[in-house]
Amino acid sequence: MPSTQVPPIAGSATDPPSIRPPIDDATIERVAPAQLRARLEALKGDGYAMLLDLGAVDYLQRKPRFDVVYHLLKLRPTKAGVAEVGSPARIRVLCGVADGERLPSVMDLWRSADWAEREVFDLFGIVFDGHADLRRIQMPYDWEGHPLRKDYPMRGPARERSPRPSFANKSNVVAGTPPSGRTLEALQEEIRRAREQ
Amino acid sequence: MALSAGPGQFMLARLDDVARWAQSSSVWPLTMGLACCAIEMMTVTSSEYDIARLGSEVFRSSPRQADLMIVSGRVAQKMGPVVKRLYDQMAEPKWVISMGACASSGGIFDNYAVIQGIDTIVPVDVYVPGCPPTPDGLLYAVNLIQQQIREGGRGGILARA
Repeated sequence: MPSTQVPPIAGSATDPPSIRPPIDDATIERVAPAQLRARLEALKGDGYAMLLDLGAVDYLQRKPRFDVVYHLLKLRPTKAGVAEVGSPARIRVLCGVADGERLPSVMDLWRSADWAEREVFDLFGIVFDGHADLRRIQMPYDWEGHPLRKDYPMRGPARERSPRPSFANKSNVVAGTPPSGRTLEALQEEIRRAREQ
Repeated sequence: MALSAGPGQFMLARLDDVARWAQSSSVWPLTMGLACCAIEMMTVTSSEYDIARLGSEVFRSSPRQADLMIVSGRVAQKMGPVVKRLYDQMAEPKWVISMGACASSGGIFDNYAVIQGIDTIVPVDVYVPGCPPTPDGLLYAVNLIQQQIREGGRGGILARA
């Protein structure tokens, strides 16, 4: 059943509702980390043979901090009558994860989880137990910090200390003069003088 | 001075000038198309703009065979050491064009993931502004490189600083 509301954590007042209109007819459900592995295994057994993507969201002011989202796809059988063939069924499984909490890896269920979990680890710092090779995938291997967390400086930790060049502070903007250094009156004066000579 | 056809004619020139003329007339670029600017670099090889008429007949894939590195596109933190390594592998004399805003200064990507200008890792001879620059801009940059080769600075068979 399509839903525009991301199901909130039970009892959490700061859970933000999703403001996006439904872009697909995905069923959205929320699962606790303890039941995550069992639920995904059940879904795989039910025919959800494709893990489209695995992502995470950082809600800085909420406990638990992160939401890990699994996008699953169930393809319709190809050898079927006309009535059975339809669009694939989609399901989105959300799992609230606290900062420092580890999730079980689903690499053995779907191979596409391999790099997707590496990406979530690289950018958010969520560790997946049971992953064969959990290392960074987008940032250099020895990078420190997890860039997509909301408290990570956008320009990078080294450059956050240096001031960003701001055109509002340039001397000509502050003084109200044009960048060429000549005001309109001065330019008109120049033209007038050139015409007279 | 009339050049008449006949045996016994010869011309005198300085070796340095001949070497510089030869080098500037056949600047072979190294393919370092990293992002969107690479599309404009590809356009420059098309018949409308035609970099081949300036001497860049082929874009070499191997740094050993190229003398100009056109860094076109944003350079990620992971790609920086690769660009530096390929620059080191090019044989002297070599030149670098920093094509586009991202290669020159990081462009619109003022963030953790993009190197803010390749002149932090390799020495650059010509910067081309634009996002992306028109192919004319890149042709002008190659012209400037040829001018630098012919008229001084680095390059020439007796290369000096």
